[in-house]
Amino acid sequence: MTIELFTQEFEGIRGQLKSYLLRITASIADAEDIVQDTYIKAVEKLYTFRGESSLKTWLFAIASNLAKDNLRAQKRWVENVTDITKAAALSNRQFFEEAMHIRMTSPQGQFEIKEHIAFCFTCISKSLPLEQQLCIFLKEVYEFKVAEIVIILNTTEAMVKYYLHTGRTKMIDIFEGRCALINKEGICHQCSELNGIFNPKQNAQEEIMKIEMAREADSGKKEHLLDLRLLILKEIDPFKSNAAELQLHHLEHNRQVMEKYSEKVAD
Amino acid sequence: MSASSIQAPKGKSTTVKSTFNRETTVSIEIKADPAIVWTLLTTASDYPRWNSTVTSIEGNIAHGEKIKLKSILDAKRTFKLTVKEFVPGKRLVWGDGQGNRVYTIESKGYGNLIFTMTEKIGGLMFPMYASMIPPFDETFEKFAADLKRESETITNSK
Repeated sequence: MTIELFTQEFEGIRGQLKSYLLRITASIADAEDIVQDTYIKAVEKLYTFRGESSLKTWLFAIASNLAKDNLRAQKRWVENVTDITKAAALSNRQFFEEAMHIRMTSPQGQFEIKEHIAFCFTCISKSLPLEQQLCIFLKEVYEFKVAEIVIILNTTEAMVKYYLHTGRTKMIDIFEGRCALINKEGICHQCSELNGIFNPKQNAQEEIMKIEMAREADSGKKEHLLDLRLLILKEIDPFKSNAAELQLHHLEHNRQVMEKYSEKVAD
Repeated sequence: MSASSIQAPKGKSTTVKSTFNRETTVSIEIKADPAIVWTLLTTASDYPRWNSTVTSIEGNIAHGEKIKLKSILDAKRTFKLTVKEFVPGKRLVWGDGQGNRVYTIESKGYGNLIFTMTEKIGGLMFPMYASMIPPFDETFEKFAADLKRESETITNSK
């Protein structure tokens, strides 16, 4: 494969790589850096690529290896990240002023509940062990098969299945306990609270009912509800959506809060 | 005895008592990848998710490490144990001065394995406190059944 052809194909995959790395690192700058490093490393090793896997699989393997060495990817958050970051946001006037400015002026400043669901998943998935988080995103959002994830993460089929099963089970339990969209007793109402702030003229309940996962909340099919949640992530490019700038601003805030929180806990 | 007449263990525990010790064993056939069974047995923080007999394990399950285990057997007590043997994919032993818990995984090929868990407790003072130690049989059977269910579920996942 020539470098020209490779570069052309890389550009077709760049968007997915970048969103994957954002979801793993929770950092725009680190995601962009790792995408660039992935390109450089891939060009250096292009002669070793023999098409035994797809180019996308090969590139995700390089990117995942780089991500595993990234300190922000390695950092694990806590299940109640949204409680901690909410408390920090409420005492941070600048955060809300900036967010409102983005909401009023940016073409990518809309607030949509679906976008916030995807954003929330990204934050909470950082409470899983890194391997479990990587496997969930690779399989459920970027649609790799188990056999491809084995190549990407250089592990065994048994371990990929273990990480996937364990990660999914934990995410189901966390959302079941927290998310008011799927459980009336859920303690987190941030989707409707933020919708009230950014879309004051909307009826939050009507907006929630447009989301299949919320409509099916009473079905009791927990696995299916997680699949519907993951489907939302699959349909959203966090850098290109109508809500991208607002959600990225929020993600940067949460990451900074969690970095300070981790330092405090370590002390 | 022909091979077909050999019954695969079904997870029924047995206890052998003597004056100075007591040994409980359970074996069960599991149709799963041994790596999954081993990972379940050695990932401390994950135990309460799949195992109905262990309330928590603190620490790192690795050779020479100390762990703190809480079990439904005695909810108020924390067992302080040392990991004494750690042979990846095959054998794990932890215990204290009173006894050892031994886990073994014996691969039978074709995706089958036999999991065995044994605990022998005893010593010269054993007769003094033997009556205060509850029987292990029920929790052993639950442990084995939980491990079978979880590892087979993971192995069969797509």
